[in-house]
Amino acid sequence: MFDPIMQQILTIARDAWAFMAGLLIVVALLGGLYFILQGTAGMAFGGSRMTSMAIIGVVGLVIIVLFAFLFLPQLGEMLKNFQPKPPF
Amino acid sequence: MNEVTSLFLVFLREAWIALAAGFLAFAMLAGIAQMLRVSSASVLGANLWVWESISALLSIVVLGLFAFMGIPQIVNAMQSSLPDAGGCGPISELGTLASGLIGGLAALRMLKAAFATMFSASIGGASSFANALIESGEAIFGMILASAAIPLAAWFLGTC
Repeated sequence: MFDPIMQQILTIARDAWAFMAGLLIVVALLGGLYFILQGTAGMAFGGSRMTSMAIIGVVGLVIIVLFAFLFLPQLGEMLKNFQPKPPF
Repeated sequence: MNEVTSLFLVFLREAWIALAAGFLAFAMLAGIAQMLRVSSASVLGANLWVWESISALLSIVVLGLFAFMGIPQIVNAMQSSLPDAGGCGPISELGTLASGLIGGLAALRMLKAAFATMFSASIGGASSFANALIESGEAIFGMILASAAIPLAAWFLGTC
């Protein structure tokens, strides 16, 4: 009875997942570009702190994106394995 | 009466399975929404926003574990304390129907509370874990009341 409704909801959820994953990539690329600009400017002006902060920012951004794309699907698999049968 | 009971329970079981699948989908959406927030906040340099998102992500994991591991155990424990039936005849059958329905509805109510909380987290709202716990507490209290009410009703209506 609930299956057709659930299929509709899951389709919407899949679309929303693809949209948000795409948005995350766009934000990460823009952020990476910003940090590269910051690092380049820092190097040009001789601002070593600015450059090192930009490098740290790029590394942090890569870690966040990797965390999102590797950890979240694993978390989903884990919760799927835990999905309980009706306890009544 | 047994057929009616099994019909209701099949309906509630299907609802449980659908709600659990929806919960899982929205948990993933909430997770990626929080990761999007973390990445945009880290680019903007908003430290507080980053920590808020990380704590929201942790609360999503905790809520998921509570929904999938805690709720079935609570329902099993409470259902074992519900008296099946008092007496015999129609009272006994009504008692069986009532205890089955009470267990199923309480389980669904708890999962629905967790689902609503996860849904609010997935659309960017605060993942109010407290709301799910309050609704779960209300459902447990209702089951405790019912466990007292069923034998009283059987006694009142007359037992064999």
